[in-house]
Amino acid sequence: MRAGYAEVEVLRGVSLEVRSGDIVSIIGANGAGKSTLLKTVFGLVTAHGGSIRLAGEELAGRRPVEVLARGVSYVPQGRCNFPAMTVEENLEMGAYTRNDAGVRRDIDAMMQRFPMLGSKRVDPAGTLSGGQQQVLEIAMALLLHPRLLLVDEPSLGLDPRMAELVFATIESINREGTTVVMVEQNAKTALSISHRAFVLELGRNRFEGTGRELLDNPEVRTHYLGR
Amino acid sequence: MRRAVAWGLGGAALVAMPWLVRAVAPGQQRYVLHILVFTGLFAALALSYDLVVGHVGSLSLAHPAFFGIGAYTAALLATRAGFTFLPDTLAAMILAGLVAWLIGVPMFRLHEHAFAIGTLGFAMVTHIVATNWVDLTRGPLCVTGIPRPALGMGPVAIKLTSVPHYYWLALASLGLVALLYHGLTTFRLGRAFHAVRDNEMLAAAAGIDPRRYRMLAFVVGAVVAGGIGALYAHYITVLCPEEMTVALTINLLVIVFIGGVGRLRGVVIGAVLFTVLPEILRIAPTWRLVIYGGLLLAIVVRWPEGLESALRRSGRSRTA
Amino acid sequence: MAFFAVHGLVKRFLGVTAIDRVDLTVERGELVALIGPNGSGKTTLFNCVTGFMPADAGRVTFRERDVTGIAPHRIARLGVGRTFQLVSVFSRLTVLDNLLVFLQQHQEDSVLGRLLRTARLRRYEREALDRAHALLAWVKLADHAHAPAGTLSYGQRKLLAFAAALMPNPELILLDEPAAAVNPTMIETMKRHILALNREGKTILLVEHNMDVVMDLAQRVVVLDHGAKIAEGAPEAIRRDPRVIDAYFGR
Repeated sequence: MRAGYAEVEVLRGVSLEVRSGDIVSIIGANGAGKSTLLKTVFGLVTAHGGSIRLAGEELAGRRPVEVLARGVSYVPQGRCNFPAMTVEENLEMGAYTRNDAGVRRDIDAMMQRFPMLGSKRVDPAGTLSGGQQQVLEIAMALLLHPRLLLVDEPSLGLDPRMAELVFATIESINREGTTVVMVEQNAKTALSISHRAFVLELGRNRFEGTGRELLDNPEVRTHYLGR
Repeated sequence: MRRAVAWGLGGAALVAMPWLVRAVAPGQQRYVLHILVFTGLFAALALSYDLVVGHVGSLSLAHPAFFGIGAYTAALLATRAGFTFLPDTLAAMILAGLVAWLIGVPMFRLHEHAFAIGTLGFAMVTHIVATNWVDLTRGPLCVTGIPRPALGMGPVAIKLTSVPHYYWLALASLGLVALLYHGLTTFRLGRAFHAVRDNEMLAAAAGIDPRRYRMLAFVVGAVVAGGIGALYAHYITVLCPEEMTVALTINLLVIVFIGGVGRLRGVVIGAVLFTVLPEILRIAPTWRLVIYGGLLLAIVVRWPEGLESALRRSGRSRTA
Repeated sequence: MAFFAVHGLVKRFLGVTAIDRVDLTVERGELVALIGPNGSGKTTLFNCVTGFMPADAGRVTFRERDVTGIAPHRIARLGVGRTFQLVSVFSRLTVLDNLLVFLQQHQEDSVLGRLLRTARLRRYEREALDRAHALLAWVKLADHAHAPAGTLSYGQRKLLAFAAALMPNPELILLDEPAAAVNPTMIETMKRHILALNREGKTILLVEHNMDVVMDLAQRVVVLDHGAKIAEGAPEAIRRDPRVIDAYFGR
């Protein structure tokens, strides 16, 4: 896949394959194109070349709503919710494209699954702590029962306990059958829960393997894991 | 080198415009130059407005007030107190700047839309005062008999009575305002302006006092607007309160946004388009304003960042 | 008297106490880490001591000068640099100008001088440019010097913001999660740079969730929870402190 913005090409021929049911991590230096990769899959950035297939169906060139309708949800980097709306209203927004009778039940189930959201049901999302907001955003994405969940830096700005909770959440939704592709700078933790992982460098593939293989690869360790 | 030649030729053509127009369209000289005087004054006024809107990012709606204060100051000093052109223009600029500074103190405590509404309120009050303070401004009867400018003193005075004279005066004023605009918006000062516009918190962390820079742009913009108001009053010789209504703000916003916010070239292009296009469209009198509106809409849709962005892009693709 | 001191700081939002009588002192040349769960008041504390938020009670002194309630740009000019937790750059300025704008306020400051571009000013600009290029090379953004900062990735903007805060060579540097969104290799470089700054004599107060960074850098750690200071001490002692484990580390 090739993609980029008006002036610069960020992805210069990235290829990756994700098996159904896996957690896949994408790591690499800042500016390597990791976030752009997720945005391109989700249709927020236009692919200049190459293809993106979900179970055989072409996604390249589709708009985010269409990608969403095909079972791909995306949790962007940083805080990205409706800060003035309550937790409950945010969840309703997460299910905005659904109009079946089960929405109410799913929202209640989500509040039970994440008690920290349930207890803040009527609080504006902007008053939640960073970790709670991250969990809220993942919960919003899950309300569409995605086949594939794209998550950009889920642990960003979270304290150790919260980060652990978010990673545990990702593992548990994966066990329930959702395929997860995440970009994460907390690379060691991300690799340790990933089935497969890819290292990007300057918009190209650099390494790939199982999470374990990359954690043990001396070159990956020195250049991408810090030590 | 080629650039310098192009600039030289362009400048010479602008200065020689009165003769060029006479050669190309004999009999139309007065009319064409009249439009160009308006273009020059509008361009200079829009540049002064863009200092505030485009460079420090404060959506002030008070600009017609400063233009009007300048125009009335010059008109009244010239008709009632016997001031000549230069002193009354200077007084117009100083008074407009002073008023801007005085209302800027409370206004810049407001932010975003509150600031816009606050400045709008000020502009409306100024207009109402100009309409109703009949003893001073003659209100709807208008100030009449404003003399055409004379430069110099006594017997050596050069009277600028003809339209070509005024064209040169407007051109020179536009040149001066453009230089000031360029000087203020580039290098260090420009960086500070843009920093305040982009991210006020971060600007403060960089040691920049956001309010001070906003105030600076606001006052300088008002001083220039006051001066242009004076030039305008001396040109049309009759000054009515309608010259300073909120409609002027809309016109300035159109010029700035159609041309390119924060861009010298863009604002000038916007002013040319705004004044010249409606005249060209006189060939289709019935549909004139409809076509004009349609064209503005098309430009905004095609080049949301203004016509200047289209020029920049084509310039880059040529050099690349 | 301490180089930088906070006495009895209180900050309330709509009746909720975000900071509850916090005392904090940092000696000249120290490198102190401030940790605590999300929502424990670390960023609010930063905002109160740098003038971005008025405190409801308490006093802040820097170099024996009371700076409580002073405007943020004036605190910056006194030699306090800070970064923001969320990415914060001037997105329409170029990467290079993002750095230059941080330096200019600490130099000649008359509008006339700027318009005239005096020789002294030109020398300042040249020195600023050299410094900016050196910092850009260090954060690996030299190739992007003339691109608008808005075109950078999130992590790159984070690095740019960090470099910008260093431009004016502040005496006290407050870093709010400098390592978040930065790749592990760059974090190592960043750590070396922070240590080098500290060895040069800079005083640093650091908020960070990355415990590798905190443990490797900090000489002293202060822990906040629910707006109150619950522990303070050497990094190793803090790591074993049951109250801190309970409130922060978990397990």
